[in-house]
Amino acid sequence: MDQKIGSALVVGAGISGIRASIDLAQMGYRVTLADRAPHMGGILSQLDYQFPTDRCGMCRMLPMVEGEPDKFQVTLKQAPSPVDPDCCIGCGQCSEVCPVEVPDAFNAGLTHRKAVYLPVPHNIPNTYTIDQAACTRCGACEPVCPTGAIRLSAMGRRAFRILVVDDESIVRNSLDAWLGDEEGYTVEMAASGPEALEKLSAAPFHLMLLDIKMPGMDGVEVLEKARVIQPALQVVMMTAYATVETAVDAMKIGAMDYLVKPFEPDALIPKVAAVYDAFQETGYLKRTVGAIVLATGTTCFDPSVGKNPMGYGTVPNVVTSLEFERMLSGTGPDAGRLCRPSDKRPVKRAAWIQCVGSRDLQSGADFCSTICCMFALKEAAVARTVAGDDFQATIIYMDMRTFGKSFERYGQQTWSTDGVRLERGRVHSIAPTPGSEDVAIRWTSASGETREEIFDLVVLSVGQRANDQTALLAEELGIDTDGFGFVRTVPFSDTRTQRVGVFAGGTLTGPTDIAESVIRASSAAVNASRTIHRAGGGLVEKTAVPDAYRDVSREPPRILVVLCRCETSAETDSDLDALSARLKQDPAVTQVVVLEHICTADGWNALTQTDTAGVNRVLVGACRTFTYGKKAHGLAASFGLDPSLIESVAMDDRQGPDAPATVAAIMAGISRLKNVSAIEENSIAVTNRALVVGGGIAGMSAALAIADHGVDVTLVEESEQLGGNLTWLHQTIDGAPIAPFLDDTIGQVDKHPGILVMTDSRVVGAFGQAGHFFSTIETAGEPTTTVEHGAVILATGGREAPTDAYAHGTSEAVVTQRELETRIHENRLDTDAMKSVVMIQCVGSREAPRNYCSRVCCPTALKQALWLKSRSPELQIYILYRDMMTCGLAEAWYTEARKQGILFFQYRPDRKPEVSINTGDKVPVSVRLHDPILDAPVEIAADLLVLATGIESRLPEALALAYGAERDQDGFFQEADSKWRPVEALKAGVFGCGIALSPRSIPEAVATAEAAAGRALTILAVERLPAARTTAIVRHSLCTLCLRCVDTCPYGARFLDDAGQRVQVNPAMCQGCGDCATACPNSASIVEGFSHRSMFGAIEGALVAM
Amino acid sequence: MNPQSVTTLPTAEESSESLDPIRAMVSACIQCGTCTGSCPNALEMDLTPRKMWRLVILGRLSAVMESKTFILCSDCYTCTLRCPRGLPLTEAMEALKGIAFARKEARHRGSRLFYEKFMETVRRHGRIREMEFMTRYFIAMKSPVAPFRFAPLGLKLMGKGKVELGGGKSGDTPLGALFEKVADLERTPAATFRKEGHQ
Repeated sequence: MDQKIGSALVVGAGISGIRASIDLAQMGYRVTLADRAPHMGGILSQLDYQFPTDRCGMCRMLPMVEGEPDKFQVTLKQAPSPVDPDCCIGCGQCSEVCPVEVPDAFNAGLTHRKAVYLPVPHNIPNTYTIDQAACTRCGACEPVCPTGAIRLSAMGRRAFRILVVDDESIVRNSLDAWLGDEEGYTVEMAASGPEALEKLSAAPFHLMLLDIKMPGMDGVEVLEKARVIQPALQVVMMTAYATVETAVDAMKIGAMDYLVKPFEPDALIPKVAAVYDAFQETGYLKRTVGAIVLATGTTCFDPSVGKNPMGYGTVPNVVTSLEFERMLSGTGPDAGRLCRPSDKRPVKRAAWIQCVGSRDLQSGADFCSTICCMFALKEAAVARTVAGDDFQATIIYMDMRTFGKSFERYGQQTWSTDGVRLERGRVHSIAPTPGSEDVAIRWTSASGETREEIFDLVVLSVGQRANDQTALLAEELGIDTDGFGFVRTVPFSDTRTQRVGVFAGGTLTGPTDIAESVIRASSAAVNASRTIHRAGGGLVEKTAVPDAYRDVSREPPRILVVLCRCETSAETDSDLDALSARLKQDPAVTQVVVLEHICTADGWNALTQTDTAGVNRVLVGACRTFTYGKKAHGLAASFGLDPSLIESVAMDDRQGPDAPATVAAIMAGISRLKNVSAIEENSIAVTNRALVVGGGIAGMSAALAIADHGVDVTLVEESEQLGGNLTWLHQTIDGAPIAPFLDDTIGQVDKHPGILVMTDSRVVGAFGQAGHFFSTIETAGEPTTTVEHGAVILATGGREAPTDAYAHGTSEAVVTQRELETRIHENRLDTDAMKSVVMIQCVGSREAPRNYCSRVCCPTALKQALWLKSRSPELQIYILYRDMMTCGLAEAWYTEARKQGILFFQYRPDRKPEVSINTGDKVPVSVRLHDPILDAPVEIAADLLVLATGIESRLPEALALAYGAERDQDGFFQEADSKWRPVEALKAGVFGCGIALSPRSIPEAVATAEAAAGRALTILAVERLPAARTTAIVRHSLCTLCLRCVDTCPYGARFLDDAGQRVQVNPAMCQGCGDCATACPNSASIVEGFSHRSMFGAIEGALVAM
Repeated sequence: MNPQSVTTLPTAEESSESLDPIRAMVSACIQCGTCTGSCPNALEMDLTPRKMWRLVILGRLSAVMESKTFILCSDCYTCTLRCPRGLPLTEAMEALKGIAFARKEARHRGSRLFYEKFMETVRRHGRIREMEFMTRYFIAMKSPVAPFRFAPLGLKLMGKGKVELGGGKSGDTPLGALFEKVADLERTPAATFRKEGHQ
């Protein structure tokens, strides 16, 4: 395997950027992750709750350009951080003294914060940062910082040093005032040439403003000498009109420019600013990377711009959905109590207005923002738990778009509760209610009557908008954006831009939800990796550097206790002495050392240089931030001790060292350390081959993505040929023909030396774990074979659901969407002989037997209708739908279809259309339905009736179970987490992609395939799979083989060995959750590092101290 | 024809082609009801604007012509301003009036004559002369009760000095040439109409 390290740049540190970075880093690349904001997390750091769990779960996911692909020269403008994150202890004293107050963007402007602030209040570790735009640079925060973390005076313009040399004091003083006081540069002055040279020798300067005519040494001479002392110094000459020629001469010997006296500030300041900008640029970060992943996301639509019909910002108690999210949050303006902004009255009646800035041509959005329907449903559900069951939520919407996996069920569950009401309609505008802070809104209900209601609060479900920075970024990178500002991709891909080596993840290529963002991010990451790999930069083998840790397993515990202190006072000294003496009573404590300010660089040095020769365990008691930081791990190397033998405990810096809580923490730490031993590094060998089950577009895409990394793939296909559903699909909605794309993909698979294709084959049995599976494959007419592989990807796809509804099967004139596609494909459709076509959507979907949205049927109906219209413009086409699920950019096709004269009728599931088949000369099909707008019956005579029956899964339960994966209640692949780990099973090494996950379009299927391949590569790219540090083990002497642990393990990491004699744990799959340890009746199952003795010791130590 | 009656599709009405230009204007409608919600006259209309647009889209000319919804449109443009699809609804309302007047719909005879006589007065004088306009209207209506229907309103307006009784104080500016040009433009297709700088 290639050992060269590749590197990639990821722009945007939202959820997609983080996902892409983790994927690339796990594959072994060096990743640079850049963001404009001072923190990571993007918009998701502001959302506390995500459906369907209504909790946050981001943690579940964690374990200017030029050049050709593989050689992107990127320049990153890195704003120097005014607060040193390594020093900041988060005490907040700086914020207390800061005189500036600005609206807090984190709480969507609902609260105020200081100019020095915590960007995300709940981050751990959490360090302050300075809002450079709001900061007045008064400097009040700098002296109060106890650790000297704030270096405001060394920042920005203050760091830019100007020397003014002039014999006239009036010139010196006015320049000092202009440049120092007004503009904020550091200005020093010299009255003569020799004084100037003295200052230049003493300290560096960036710019010198130099007078020419001075007594003694003149300006030109000073310039010559100055350039010897500081060659990089920029010099601007100041000259009287008479000596302009001298100034020009001075420029020949290195002066940059000149100014003719007298001059105004307007003439001077731009020149200084230009030099300052050039100076700043030297601080830019330059990197050469092999590929770029863009994940800069979208912004929320600002409803106050334009006509602002919703009165946002002018009518009280009209908020955006993002603001509402903050109002619900514990870190929000009212600490988690739901109060309305104007008078802080509890909110009991709230209305959500959907499609604000979406599906609205008046605000330039002929697209659906995709997320708002589910966002509103979730907010309504969470609000009921926050504000109580008497909370009434009303959602006013046009189409309820519950199109994603599990969305429909979540929606049904939410709107079936009494407190949540759905109203189909659209509010045209909101005006203030005179004399009241309630919000009155008016809309026309589906039945036609005008409704007027009063709410405590109205939430505007604001849409997504392309980021205004996207256009600049796209131009810089030479990639295209569409009319709405989203990045354009090549056909059949959601992540590849036209430029090779530049990929887009997340919402950058069109609005989408969290799960799809994460999928696109992983897809972009794997495509970036392919680019780097192809150019010679390979995946890197993670060589575990054998740290030279001392073997102390046979020594009795000898503990060094290091205590940190912030302040030096007689009282603290005596407290610390008393504490030390008390700790030393324990014979295991060999030594107690008190250090000052471990959080500072000096303190850290003192800690790492502490003599640990005589000890074998170390306990550090310091501030909270220290214990959370990554620093504790760094100590292992400097002490030569295994990391598990170093423990840090939090000392509360607001209390003295003798506070009971502090003593208890330290005593508990000591007791725990006494009983721990070094944990052996576990790893298991990986079979570097992948098995992909299913040869449709998803399976082939996954196989290609893995094989392109030099890992062999076995691709198993049940039928006699590759292609799956693409073999019967004719073209996409935008007219791209499918056959060439399919032929090209099959060609690549066939030609790829790393892919072994097995058609007419089925997996009949499998066992094993991540890193090493065995699968038995049966091929028609051939002997059964066994394949050993490290990971498996299930891409078994789906099929159009069969139906006998609406007289299907009784007449040639009633077909399914697939049958129509086939007739078109095979030229068996005589469009000229037809006058009218009816399409019925949601046949058997979004209710039993398939209680989910199949996602592709609405765009498919539009595709066929538009195709028929283009063939035969006179043909009348009627589409009968429940909610048009044209999410994202597909909305534009819905608009186009209506413009073409295609008629749409909405129907309710309790009032379905009726179909009868006619015989004889009559038009073959009669469809009767109820038009809700006219509240009147409609009768359509149709030559053809097309039914959209949706998609059902083809994933056999036995196959999923053979690999330890599960199917969801609809028969699709059950992912580990619907948002954060959307393409992998809870059992490590098992992945799903394409329609096997849930119904999806071709580009979406390809994206999941690439995402699954990327996730699989994190296993397949290494020779040994490292285990988590904390894993469970079995003490076989105590084990009675009751197998409770095997049943209870949620990750399937436990199994009975071949002989059936011993319970084994796969360390690569074990997540160290401890479920087995609690289930074991015999204490035979334990989690390493958490032995009973050590845990009980810690509790005992804490209790003794109390 | 009652809008509540069965709509048969494809459209059976022979004469519905005259609706085609208006159908094209509103075909992108998503039936969200914003127009109805924002219409200040909706309460007086027999069909809500949304229902009427639906009938237009379904090609039910006679049901549309029976309604007085489009006659009651006061051209305030609120629906046009609010429509999420940006449809030219006010323009479409005007076009419906045009069809109704061209078809000399009996139901809208009063409205048509009112419009015609109003414009005739403007054409002759370059401004409205209430007494002359009303006299012409009453004559055209050929209804002896018409003046009495307007009497209370007329008296009220007179009381406030809103009706000019005698001849105009200012000189007349006949607008014949302007009216002819407009009539000329209206005979030409809509595309040309736009090119001339009209909305």
